[in-house]
Amino acid sequence: MSQTLIDQLAGPPPVEDPDQARPISHQLHGSDRTFRGVARLSAIIVLTIMGFIGVFLAYRGFEALRRDGIWKFITTQAWFPEANHFGIAAVIPNGIFIALVAIVFAIPLAVGTALYISEYAPGRVRSTLIAMVDLMAAVPSVVYGIWGLFLFQGHAANFARWIATYFSWIPIFKVTGFNPHDPLGTITLFTSSSFIAGMVVGLMITPSICSISREVFTRAPDGEREGALALGATKWGMIRSVVLPYGRGGVIGGTMLGLGRALGETIAVVLIISPIYFRNAQILHNGTNSVSALIANKYGEASSFATSALMAAGLSLFLLTLAVNFGASSIVARSRSGASGDA
Amino acid sequence: MSTPTPPTSTEGAGPFHAGSAAVLQSTRSEMTRTVVVAPVTEAETTVEAEPRRNTATLKPKDIARTIGSALAAISLTWLFYTQILALSGVLGFIVIAFVLHVLLFGLITATDSPAPIVRDRMVSVVIHSAAVVLMFALAMIVGYTVYRGLDALPHKNFFTQDMSNAGPLDPLTVGGVLHAFVGSMIMITIALIVTIPLGITCAVYLVEFPGAAARFVQTIVEAMTALPSIIAGLFIYATLIITLGFPKSGFAASMAISVMMLPIIIRASVVVIRLVPGTLKEASYALGSSHWKTVWTVVLPTARSGLATAVILGTARGIGETSPVLLTAGFTTALNWNPFNGPMVSLPLLTFKLVGSPEQAFITRGFGAAVVLLAVVFVLFIVARLIGGRGPGHQSKRAARKSASLSAKDIARIEKAMAPVLTTGAVPVNGAHT
Amino acid sequence: MIRLARARAARVLTTAAIASVVMGAVAVPPAQAANYVPISGAGSTWSQNAIDQWRRDVYQFGLQVNYAGNGSSDGRNQFRAGTVDFAVSEIPYGTKDGGVFDPPPTQSATNPRPFAYIPIVAGGTSFMYNLVIGGRRVTNLQLSPSTIVGIFTDKITRWNDPAIAKDNPGLTLPALPVVPVVRSDGSGTTAQFTKYMATKYASQWNAYCLRTGRATLPCGQTSTYPTVPGSGFVSQSGSLGVAGYVAQSNNVGTINYVEYSYALNSGFPVAKMLNKAGYYIEPTADSVAVALTGATINGDLTQNLGGVYDNADPRTYPLSSYSYMIIPTTTAPPMNTDKGHSLAAFAKYFLCDGQNKAPLLGYSPLPLNLVQAAFTQIRKIPGADLGSINVRACHNPTFTSSGANLLAQIAPQPLPCAHVGIPTQCWDGTAGAARIATFVHGVGDNYGVKAKPTGNPSAHPTGNPSTNPSTNPSTNPTGNPTSNPTGNPTPNPTGNSTGNPTGNPTSNPSSNGGTLSNPGAPPGAQAQPVAVASQFAGGNSVLIPILALLVLLGVVIAPVAVASILRGGKK
Repeated sequence: MSQTLIDQLAGPPPVEDPDQARPISHQLHGSDRTFRGVARLSAIIVLTIMGFIGVFLAYRGFEALRRDGIWKFITTQAWFPEANHFGIAAVIPNGIFIALVAIVFAIPLAVGTALYISEYAPGRVRSTLIAMVDLMAAVPSVVYGIWGLFLFQGHAANFARWIATYFSWIPIFKVTGFNPHDPLGTITLFTSSSFIAGMVVGLMITPSICSISREVFTRAPDGEREGALALGATKWGMIRSVVLPYGRGGVIGGTMLGLGRALGETIAVVLIISPIYFRNAQILHNGTNSVSALIANKYGEASSFATSALMAAGLSLFLLTLAVNFGASSIVARSRSGASGDA
Repeated sequence: MSTPTPPTSTEGAGPFHAGSAAVLQSTRSEMTRTVVVAPVTEAETTVEAEPRRNTATLKPKDIARTIGSALAAISLTWLFYTQILALSGVLGFIVIAFVLHVLLFGLITATDSPAPIVRDRMVSVVIHSAAVVLMFALAMIVGYTVYRGLDALPHKNFFTQDMSNAGPLDPLTVGGVLHAFVGSMIMITIALIVTIPLGITCAVYLVEFPGAAARFVQTIVEAMTALPSIIAGLFIYATLIITLGFPKSGFAASMAISVMMLPIIIRASVVVIRLVPGTLKEASYALGSSHWKTVWTVVLPTARSGLATAVILGTARGIGETSPVLLTAGFTTALNWNPFNGPMVSLPLLTFKLVGSPEQAFITRGFGAAVVLLAVVFVLFIVARLIGGRGPGHQSKRAARKSASLSAKDIARIEKAMAPVLTTGAVPVNGAHT
Repeated sequence: MIRLARARAARVLTTAAIASVVMGAVAVPPAQAANYVPISGAGSTWSQNAIDQWRRDVYQFGLQVNYAGNGSSDGRNQFRAGTVDFAVSEIPYGTKDGGVFDPPPTQSATNPRPFAYIPIVAGGTSFMYNLVIGGRRVTNLQLSPSTIVGIFTDKITRWNDPAIAKDNPGLTLPALPVVPVVRSDGSGTTAQFTKYMATKYASQWNAYCLRTGRATLPCGQTSTYPTVPGSGFVSQSGSLGVAGYVAQSNNVGTINYVEYSYALNSGFPVAKMLNKAGYYIEPTADSVAVALTGATINGDLTQNLGGVYDNADPRTYPLSSYSYMIIPTTTAPPMNTDKGHSLAAFAKYFLCDGQNKAPLLGYSPLPLNLVQAAFTQIRKIPGADLGSINVRACHNPTFTSSGANLLAQIAPQPLPCAHVGIPTQCWDGTAGAARIATFVHGVGDNYGVKAKPTGNPSAHPTGNPSTNPSTNPSTNPTGNPTSNPTGNPTPNPTGNSTGNPTGNPTSNPSSNGGTLSNPGAPPGAQAQPVAVASQFAGGNSVLIPILALLVLLGVVIAPVAVASILRGGKK
């Protein structure tokens, strides 16, 4: 277009002193104001719902804590609400062990699969695999629980016995009461443990971690990938230097999502574990517990006070997860894939 | 003498064909320094046909090495496992065999490749195995469920009847999971109606209006993803059912499910919406659109496939949850279409209840219900994938054709509007388009 | 954008389309009979199997019953809160359950509901076990009450303990550790069992409670079984959990307490318990019904099982009990006369005709005294049809319409080999392993050399009317064609190929081993872990490792060697 045409289309130039500061207004108009209002409203609704739950937990929980104080609650291992002798000193650590085992199994599996999908898989295989992983995320926990209970536990218990026989010099694999040379030793010592429950829960959370990791890995900038390869890096070198650092935030975010699910997983854990009320750091040894399993087992038979005690346990789990997430979100916010992306 | 040899990337034709090499070299010498170049003789210009390089990443020797080390690992493990150490258990065998396989493969590769390549190959084996293990686990889980439920599935009544007419002593030719299927569908529909608008709007808020408030909300939301499902059920039970007096119904259960799904949808959506490149948004602002329009026309469509994934993740969680439904929906064996009145049962709840029964037929029906649930989820995924489309920057052929036709229409419209301007130079009044 | 909304609409429409297609084939329920309205209840899982069957039976009359089996306490809580019309519970209100007082609904501030208890279903607490001697599963274990209490209070820890050996003179018990499997969730079965222990063996039970850390004495009845930290006890969730745990063939040495129907369906045996008259009895429908003839009802309508535990009839199973249905006796909300009419009709059904199904499901029919007591209470339900509620119109299998006690006539007397104090024991199996016998030795015999089932008639009818004649052929050992629920056992026809040892009591162990049917995998096909060692066990222990080494070397080195040869001079 010609210059005159542009002038004509643009209209007369503004007549003002170029040195004077232009007032910049934040005045929102119509649709933007509504938009901001609607968005804020939705956030407020969400916050209200979440807040309600937190308040509900705290209110019901404090009825139980009021009697003997928080310190006793934190340091008691047994669970006898009717005798006023109850606490989370056993339930929370055991639940953390289950979740840790789950994460240890899930992260390599999920990240490995995500890398395979984003880096190695040919086209058709990739789309099929993505669909399979998403499908796996949808398998309900009760199915995992039944599978774990009937099919998996036998094999896993034997595997645990093998580990306990040869690796018991590592403290967490030690199993008291196990004598590998005792022919009458029973396999029941290795069933229903944190290890087995952790493996099943790990399988449960792997698909969600994998989905999110895969999403961020595919978004790693192609320019950097190609640059690494052009500089002579092997594929693994490229992954290690470009994809993984870029995707770190997303992987951590996905892991937190999975950790949250692992800590709160109810039905599968209930079906597999044999609940105990003391701390058991030997993950191969029979017996473990978690807050949600505790609530699920005890809820049906709980009196009003016992229900409050269960709420207090739920509140402590909630606070624990809050702390974990707070730490993780600060890591994610600083990473490239977590923060606002640029080209 | 040092003759800069022409690069040999292609064979045959090209500017670096023998005949022109001399021309290039002389040009180079003009530009840099004087180099005495021997005239190119015929003998030297006979170009050796460059062997065509195979750029495939997977070579036959890699495959051979993989198979070889696998066999070697298996036989070594068998040797140690059974004869020397006398261990037992399939799982331990597989683990040892795998570790040995990776080590042996690395060893073999190390015989003729440098260390980075060895590391690369070993990692590649591990990564491939991770995918195989995951798929194997999925196959085992789904396969076991189908295997246990197989006796119930061939009967048509399984899909068309509810359990009102089927007692513990009745065979598999009576009774079905229709009531649970309908219940699940109704519950998840209500939950989606509530959570999708709320969740996505909240996610948009968190990304588009960053600040202290948004960070606070985000932290709360992330904490809520860890809410045990039974506490969500307890919460709804205590508020809706006890305090407000609602009956135990499908609506209460769908509220409990929404509480479970909401944080997950929000969190996953935030991750996806954040990934929309800032340049797209800035381009939209630069073109004069408002915040709202940018979000509606640029951000959300760009993130659409990721949002579909987020919704799928949330829905999968919602459909498969047992405990919130257990506490809020009661239990019934009859078909109930009304979510506001009367107990309603969902597929996972039915599975849980049936599998806990002592009667073998009930257990089989329970597994059958789990198979139906898996099938439902599978169908939902396919539908969502079709609707969601691909990620930003990737278009299916149909979508590409569609954008092309839209662009063509835009061009036609602009040309039509500009036609008077281009011919006569007159500006349309008020900038109006025709 | 429009596309997003359209997409969403498409999704909803697809769902609706699928739903409506399926809806086209919905089974239509039968027409509602006059005045029947749906009623809902909640409570015990112990009784759930029976209630499920009864609800299905009355559905044909147009009466819809909804029942949620979430546990006895949940049922009691819900009844008190007014969210259900009836509840089913093993434990009445007003007791201290594990030290916590449970107030009855009449004391509710917001909605006092006058109520009554009626017996609903009876059964025995059975002790399912998994024990293997010499590679063969034991199916005829006998235990006295003190031994059982010793096992479950962590006093008896090995299977070859003198107490167990005294109960089983015909078995050479191994020194395996005993692993008791208890319920981890709140359970009516736990309540029934702990009530027995608290009543008959109070000092032992209290001592055990103290060890578990439960400080309130007397310990009494409880719904959650306490365990001592670090003992060999295993807890599992649900009846299916404890039954499934014992039923895993690897878990040898486990014993649990569970409803009889689970043991029946698992293919595993239950222990015979010693009664007051000195016989070891299995918890069949007959033995439980006989035991409950000694039950009395207290003034507050709760059960008094003192006469049951010590019933002197030789056919008694001591640990018999029944669970309550809690019914409202006024129209306090949510009750009304229509619901009352339906509830009374339902109650009349299950007290009479419904009891015929009880043995098939693993329960026991209620005897006359309990039915009469129940009738007295049902008549109080508002809207009940009083005309139909009388003994003459009742087709309960344990008594005639004139009130004569059929049980006393038809229940079979125990065999002489089941008597305590003799140097051997019966070899017939129990419960799910009823088809499998365990050969025992008499005094002075080495185990397995001579098998003389002294005092046993051949073709011993396990004739167990509680064998579930389900039509699923892959599971229960069916094949008892005359298992009629009135408890008239007919002898098992000879020639039963599944291993009923009708002939050859004195044949040598190898052929006996042949006629013993291997119980095989319990129904549900738990996978057997593969012992790789056993599969490849070869005779030549030297040759095979050498071969393996050569193969290994060949496979590892050959490709490299071949490759370098092929590369030859090229580099």
